Amino acid sequence: MDSIERLQMKILQAVRAKVCCCALMAAGIFGAASPVLAHHSFTMFDMTKQLTLVGTVSSFEWTNPHSYIEIDVPDEKGAAKHWSIEMGSPSILMQSGWKFNSIKAGEKVTLIINPMKSGQAGGFLSTATLPDGRVLSNGPRQGPPPPAPTQK
Amino acid sequence: MNLGMKSKILCYAALLPMAPAMVHAQSASAPPDFTGVWGIYRGGPDSDPKFRPPAPTPLVLKPEYDKPYQARRAEEAAAAKRGEQLANAGAECIPYGVPTMMSVAIYPVEFIQTPKQVTIISEAFSEVRRVYLDRPQAKMEDVAPGFYGRSVGHWEGDTLVVDTVGIKPTVTLRGLPHSPQMRVTERIRMLSADILHDQITIEDPVVLEKPYTYTTAYKRMASDYEMVEFVCDNNREYVDEKGIVRLKLHNQ
Repeated sequence: MDSIERLQMKILQAVRAKVCCCALMAAGIFGAASPVLAHHSFTMFDMTKQLTLVGTVSSFEWTNPHSYIEIDVPDEKGAAKHWSIEMGSPSILMQSGWKFNSIKAGEKVTLIINPMKSGQAGGFLSTATLPDGRVLSNGPRQGPPPPAPTQK
Repeated sequence: MNLGMKSKILCYAALLPMAPAMVHAQSASAPPDFTGVWGIYRGGPDSDPKFRPPAPTPLVLKPEYDKPYQARRAEEAAAAKRGEQLANAGAECIPYGVPTMMSVAIYPVEFIQTPKQVTIISEAFSEVRRVYLDRPQAKMEDVAPGFYGRSVGHWEGDTLVVDTVGIKPTVTLRGLPHSPQMRVTERIRMLSADILHDQITIEDPVVLEKPYTYTTAYKRMASDYEMVEFVCDNNREYVDEKGIVRLKLHNQ
């Protein structure tokens, strides 16, 4: 693992350790390190809580400044509830093995998310289990590499 | 350096005797080549200390600017405790400009170097800045205020010294205020084949008691790395009437 990867790991671990990005930014600007800014802080998400959503993808938006998974999650009575799940930018996601076509509408996925503090049906992705069994994270190089292409 | 280039340089030097770039370009050795893609590097505990970015100098604002600046920092901290983020340019998808664009999260920057110009592209927001090596700096008051201002550079040995003026007052380093007299001086140098440092100094006789200097370190990315486009066409964050950043959900 090179040092960039270590840095990326550290950033992700910091987020997971309940240190919000804005605190990281504040520490960066006048602390011991050089200023490093991010697009927005993660204060709207409860990084201390995790929810598991199992449902059907209605759209996968490979966009900036963030990508999104729109997903319908059936409750115990079978009624679907719609969730919007925020991810990193394509640039960040590519560093953890994602591609623009990693998931498609209609596919079933399992998402572990940090829910919104407001209680709305939204959250920030932690990890996603794809239909082929791969587990991809929302941070750089956390997941296993994609399977090698196979000949048909 | 070949003879043709030398005679060209001497010709420019004759035309622009005051241009610092020309004076330094006459040195015998060719400058290093920064061309390539560089990722943000902060070094780990087992990294070589000389490659880690040194600590920034203290940031000291003049009292009349320090008070509102600290008040805003306190408001941001209080909002964060409530689980809220106050509005800022980044959340509204407005590019960062100079010097912030040189270190945005873990987004790499690409350097494209030619004898007359160094072009720097940040992956975040696809920001572009051009550093002219073949002309002198303009007077501050003649530069239209913008996100990137006007940058000229010259070589001092292996170090590219970049002078930037003309940054818009609304384009700030995380809310740090500045006047039209702000000047940004960068000293960019390769410490090894794979490590690059950009030492950034902000001078502002109106706002700052003394210059503020910080360093961004980079590590060269793999040679096959391809810069990723970044066009902000799906920004779901918005600022509400209280100045708080909110997230618009599709199910709202």
